[in-house]
Amino acid sequence: MITLSIDTKTIQVAPDTNVLKAALDNGIHIPHLCYHPDLSISGGCRLCLVEVEGQDQPVLSCGLTAAEGMVIQTQSEQLTELRRGVLDLFISDHPLDCVVCDKAGSCTLQEYAYEYGLKETSYEPTVSSALFQDDNPFFLRDHQYCILCGRCVRVCDEIVGVHAIDFANRGFETNIATPYDGPMIDSTCVFCGNCVQVCPTAALMPVSRLQRGREWDLDRTLSVCGYCGVGCQIEYATKDNAIIYAQAPEHGAANGTFLCTKGRYGWDFATSPERLKQPMLRRDVAHKLGLTEEPWELPETSPLDIRNPNVEQYFVPVDWDTALEFVSSRLSEITESHGPDSIMGLASARCTNEDNYLFQKFMRAVIGTNNIDHCARL
Amino acid sequence: MSREKLDQIAEKEQARQSQFDKRIHCCISTACLSAGAGHTIQTLRDSVEAAPTGDEVEVVQTGCMGLCSRGPLVRVQEKSGEEVYYADVDSECAEELVAKTVSWDQAQAKQQKLSSELQTVRARLETARRKRSLKKHILSPDMPFFTKQVKVVLRDVGYVDPEKLEDYLAHGGYEALHKVLTEMSPEQVCDEMLNSGLRGRGGAGFPTGLKWNFVRREQSDVKYVVVNGDEGDPGAYMDRTVMEDNPHQVLEGMMIAAYAVGANHGYFYIRAEYPIAIDRIRGAIRAARRHGILGKSVLGTDFSYNADVRIGAGAFVCGEETALIHSIEGKRGVPRMRPPYPSTSGLWGKPTVINNVETFASVPAIIKEGADWYAQIGTEKSKGTKVFALAGQLTNTGLIEVPMGITLKEIVYEIGGDVPGDAEFKAAQTGGPSGGCIPNTHMDTPVDYESLQELGSIMGSGGLVIIDSTTSMPEFARFFMDFCVDESCGKCVPCRVGTVQIRTLLDKIIEGRGEPEDLDKLEALCQLVRSTSLCGLGQSAPNPVLSTLRFFRHEYEALIPTNA
Repeated sequence: MITLSIDTKTIQVAPDTNVLKAALDNGIHIPHLCYHPDLSISGGCRLCLVEVEGQDQPVLSCGLTAAEGMVIQTQSEQLTELRRGVLDLFISDHPLDCVVCDKAGSCTLQEYAYEYGLKETSYEPTVSSALFQDDNPFFLRDHQYCILCGRCVRVCDEIVGVHAIDFANRGFETNIATPYDGPMIDSTCVFCGNCVQVCPTAALMPVSRLQRGREWDLDRTLSVCGYCGVGCQIEYATKDNAIIYAQAPEHGAANGTFLCTKGRYGWDFATSPERLKQPMLRRDVAHKLGLTEEPWELPETSPLDIRNPNVEQYFVPVDWDTALEFVSSRLSEITESHGPDSIMGLASARCTNEDNYLFQKFMRAVIGTNNIDHCARL
Repeated sequence: MSREKLDQIAEKEQARQSQFDKRIHCCISTACLSAGAGHTIQTLRDSVEAAPTGDEVEVVQTGCMGLCSRGPLVRVQEKSGEEVYYADVDSECAEELVAKTVSWDQAQAKQQKLSSELQTVRARLETARRKRSLKKHILSPDMPFFTKQVKVVLRDVGYVDPEKLEDYLAHGGYEALHKVLTEMSPEQVCDEMLNSGLRGRGGAGFPTGLKWNFVRREQSDVKYVVVNGDEGDPGAYMDRTVMEDNPHQVLEGMMIAAYAVGANHGYFYIRAEYPIAIDRIRGAIRAARRHGILGKSVLGTDFSYNADVRIGAGAFVCGEETALIHSIEGKRGVPRMRPPYPSTSGLWGKPTVINNVETFASVPAIIKEGADWYAQIGTEKSKGTKVFALAGQLTNTGLIEVPMGITLKEIVYEIGGDVPGDAEFKAAQTGGPSGGCIPNTHMDTPVDYESLQELGSIMGSGGLVIIDSTTSMPEFARFFMDFCVDESCGKCVPCRVGTVQIRTLLDKIIEGRGEPEDLDKLEALCQLVRSTSLCGLGQSAPNPVLSTLRFFRHEYEALIPTNA
């Protein structure tokens, strides 16, 4: 371990830790916009400057490896002056329409402008790009808010491994683009939305969030994604019992700060009127079991018409015991009359590995068949 | 190929050259070519062929002779070594020059049948014999432009045919490489560089020997050497000239570096706007490979080396070493933070030596003549010579090589021949968009790394623009700021947005809309961009503004309307 001092606090970190991480992990905040703990170092935002004892000039803490005995100052008049100057340049190229911005309250640039008392830019406001791209149903790209921190480019390349976007043009004209600036759908993008999650400003925003309330209006519920067995932690931002958007919480045990497209955008089922919330038995079966009084006959056409799933017309809600009792009795009957190989089990990718293991064990040991398969093979 | 065989080639070439009584050198470097040297050399060749006694004369295509403003330049070299320079040699002048150079001695007349075209040329030569206009083309060898220069890097430039390996060998080429491979250890080579005091000629002036030693000490199976030929300062063309006019010299320097640090592969990174340099470096690589100078067994030793060319895509920032590395790797050419420095993690993460073309071109001479010889040229901290592209409002502009420590005064008034017309010398701008303006009040300043830095400028790669009293300094500063705005890569905010805001302020001031506090605001913004930018481009981008604000503040103040 390496011992260094940051703002008179003695801190121990593992070798090869950068000073910014060392500070952040120990509750000392140094302003930063391009740094993200899970991504490579860029050094483009120039905000995380610190003073190092024995060095004349302030250095970027994200690019500074902690060394034994290092003495770091994260706050000083000089540093405030430099950071304020850099932020002033940032906001000269950024619309200051925070009063109507959906990101207000969770925008890092806004937070720093507040912290450093920048009401407006002292330079000539000049927004470099007014490009607005809403070419997909998941997220918007509003370039006037982009501060070119490059987190989206790095997350797409380094974490997702897709590299659908990168910097295009140069200098003041630089913007983030797909190859030849084609529509997102024609790029290699998988719409995982991790770029949206790491974006510090309103340049990348979930479509579902627009005009639906600001950070302080939203409730947050921590949950586990049900799409597969990985068990990613997911945080639903809701308002009036409706999901506004989903994102990864700060430190999910399985997923860190990232999610895939299903977890992030595939949550509309939660409030769908078609969602099944309890077991149901077909009306004719229910009648035979004496659960309903009206007799009912299965029509010629399948009741499982996905375009018109008139569930209540065909099914009766029952409790779990009744449902399981029925399934178990039918399985026993069929096994006895037609043999175990007349039954087949199909497991689901939405179950955990443990569940899938138990399921095949059940099919083999209890039912007595090797007819077991998995939806992931389809 | 062994050393002996190369010696044989060199001797054969020397013997061939000594057959001629006179050799006519014609510059075919970019500046002279664009002034019509292509026609000139063709006329020279045709005329020598058509002349009744042309066998004693050889027309040689060579590189830059320096006085580019008077091109095309031609030099006639006698067997005795005596030389006469001719300036502004167009086709007509070239005919007269040949007519006056060949002997017309009937006894030595060639036995040949002339084609009808050559008969016309012969007829023109007969007329040209009687003309008397050649004298005004002669440049006096006593001109300070020639006498004040000390040539180390450009020693053979202008004498050697850049497309002929034999000619380079005849001028002692690859002797230095052979010396290091057979007589010196890599450590000795690095020490020799260190002792010579050679500092990086790209502008920053880092000691070359120190840099090589860092790479030499790195433990790695693969190391690289990269020649930075992405010269981009407006008006500067030192590196282009050396690559175009003596490509083997750069290759030899690069190979010596490779041996010194333990690299077996290297790249020339040349900007795409230098097509002739690219062609000639490629030609040199092919010729060296054919002669066993490049490849598995360099000059018959155990050392193996290969070099290749990578072409830049038009970004000034790719002259910055980390951006250059990204560009070679096929990535976007943007700089990254250092450390790690390329000497520990460079091209493809391997230890890499990156030096400027001129630095490598200085190496063969240092090895041949010795570190002590080199160290005696120049000043205490800045050794050797520096090549400058002398441009701007001067009588003589072109490419010069001067000892470090020479004063600006000598360069402007003696070598440059003063500012033409009634105007006066006002300031010298060094280091291109990263440099600053030095006013005439400091013209006794010695030109070395430290002195220039003290004045808020830098040595830079060698651009030297002379400004006369008719030029507005705020407008001059805005020109360079425009350049930086265009060339900023956009990675860090101080450079990306700061340069745009500096230009906006300059526009405001120059257009007469400035307010009294704008100058302080401009200065503060320049300081911010300088101290917070990521790479050298951004850090030095405000220099032209800061230095003109320092020395010519009154010109800015005069543009601000006073509150009536």
